[in-house]
Amino acid sequence: MKRTFRNILLTLFTIVLMAGLSWADTLKVGVQAPITGSYANEGQGIENGVRLMAAQINAKGGVMGRQIEVIVCDDQGTAMAAAICAKDLVNKGVAMVIGSYTSTAAEAAQKTYFNAGVLQTSDGTADSLTEHGYWTFLRNSFPNSAEAVFAANYMVNVKSYKRIAVISDFSSYAAGLAEATVAEIKKAGGNVVTYAKIKADSQNFTPVLTNIKSKNPDVIFFAGYYSDGGQLRAQQKALGIKADFIGGDANDNADFAKLAGSSAKGALIINVPSPDALPYEIAKTFIADYQRTYGMMPPSIWGLMNIDGMRAIIHAMEHNQSFDTKKAADYLHNMDKPLEGITGSISFAADGNRIGGAYVVKEIQADNSYKVIYAQ
Amino acid sequence: MDIFLQQLANGLTIGSIFALVALGYTMVYGVMKLINFAHGDMVAASAFVGLTIYTQVMGQATSLVAVIAIFFLSAAVMACVGIILERLAYRPLREAPRLSAVVSALGASLMIQNGIMLIWGPQMRIFPELIPQVYWDINGVVISLIQVLILVLSLGLMIALYLFVEKTRMGAAIRASAIDQDAARLMGINVNRIIAIIFIIGSSLGAVGGLFIGLYYRGITFNMGWQYGLYAFIAAILGGIGNIPGAMLGGMMLGLFQAFIAGYISSTWADAFTFILLILILIVRPTGLLGERVAGKV
Repeated sequence: MKRTFRNILLTLFTIVLMAGLSWADTLKVGVQAPITGSYANEGQGIENGVRLMAAQINAKGGVMGRQIEVIVCDDQGTAMAAAICAKDLVNKGVAMVIGSYTSTAAEAAQKTYFNAGVLQTSDGTADSLTEHGYWTFLRNSFPNSAEAVFAANYMVNVKSYKRIAVISDFSSYAAGLAEATVAEIKKAGGNVVTYAKIKADSQNFTPVLTNIKSKNPDVIFFAGYYSDGGQLRAQQKALGIKADFIGGDANDNADFAKLAGSSAKGALIINVPSPDALPYEIAKTFIADYQRTYGMMPPSIWGLMNIDGMRAIIHAMEHNQSFDTKKAADYLHNMDKPLEGITGSISFAADGNRIGGAYVVKEIQADNSYKVIYAQ
Repeated sequence: MDIFLQQLANGLTIGSIFALVALGYTMVYGVMKLINFAHGDMVAASAFVGLTIYTQVMGQATSLVAVIAIFFLSAAVMACVGIILERLAYRPLREAPRLSAVVSALGASLMIQNGIMLIWGPQMRIFPELIPQVYWDINGVVISLIQVLILVLSLGLMIALYLFVEKTRMGAAIRASAIDQDAARLMGINVNRIIAIIFIIGSSLGAVGGLFIGLYYRGITFNMGWQYGLYAFIAAILGGIGNIPGAMLGGMMLGLFQAFIAGYISSTWADAFTFILLILILIVRPTGLLGERVAGKV
């Protein structure tokens, strides 16, 4: 009898608890990122960052009284999983989605978020991301076209390379960056001796590199991701190719140098400044909190870019005193005063592109640290 | 000519890794007529086991002894896993229809893959530079120390395996079990023991292949077993599945073929051409290059 009573009480308690959870309104924030797969390191960086930012906002009372609830979906960096994630996150009623890391995954999910009126902010740099006219999409990084101009200028005018080899994989980001860079190099009067493509994750790049070696380039520009870039650099050295190596922005991850091992030294990477080089007070505080919480540095700048996107959207909602996503987007597209961000001031053009962006060239040192050797 | 020789060296290196892994498929198929789909994931697991042995057991000591110890310990661990796999996933289904065993193999593959993810995490793990980056430039053809090591060790292991199977009593027992298990049993051969030995040898060779992948490419992911398993499986079919020299030949051929296609045509098409080659060979010689026509048992 006593047990029955206790069971009834427990059931009642559970019902009240469950009902309580659904009554309390939360602000649902989706994270769509590659939690597994080759880019897991970056995906986890985004998830960790968003969770930390959400916890910090919640500790201060949430957004207009609502606590943030983070819902994570793993897109593995692939278009197929991204499309499923998009549907899943929309069904779960998120107001905004942070991510994804890869342009391919971000692009595959865009339309679903647009149709549902869910705001999406991604670090994807493929120009095509902002060419669809979706008001829901906010790029928190800077597009390939801007990086291509910088990279081409650096290679042709600053370093005066005579023979440039370009490599990319087949993803939206990599192919887009490589094509834009090749076009900019030609515009600047440079000489592209070869443009080769590799299959991401295939590990064995020596056949392609051997071909490139026969073209005798003095620099190899790699538009692609760090997981391939580190191996390319190692195999370039192992094949005795003397050319300089310049990696595009997605090579900016600590794993690049680890993969390349002793070959990493001297490799150049073009990107915006690294997390540890961010001069802003807000950045220093957040990175210190991140290190305390997770016991490591953020894997790269990308997670922080995404968090800036999240902060911008929340800032817009608070400014409007409304959770309406359309109003938030309208505000963000016409900000009179940029928001102070972790990765610098943040504001958006009407097409959803982030305004500004200053690139630097970083050289990997013997201890795998970066040294900025050229700034815009 | 330089390029040709360089691509030859590239192809032989990756080809010998394919061949080592292919041996695991072909030996199991030879005796059990079962495609052990979990083999590729065992290869991936061995790379992770090797990395853990290096960081946890060896205390990150980089010496020749440490490297050799990693190879032996990883091979031993994977041999144990192989025996357990056979006991749990394949032996209970030995009398069941062929399809059940194949499904069990696929299940084992997924289980090992997800097991790696649970234990070591979903992100790419990075092998330390255990083999120093030394390379020689011979008239424009550059060969690195690790390439030489992979080639020499693989060839050595393959020759040893060939001699073991062809020249020893145990080898004769393996061949007998491959031809007819019932007859072998009547001759006093303990077929269960033979199958256990097959799994020990296959898994150890796969473990060496997995370590080569880790040492050569450095980046290892939990799902890489699928890719290497697929290539090794193709290599085994090319050479004639069930045939040991065939797997060696198939692996080397596939490595060279991929290097030349990627080098002279386009790396984009390397996979497409690989499968076209597979289809052509299966049309012309359904039993593979060295496979013999064996009448099916009724």
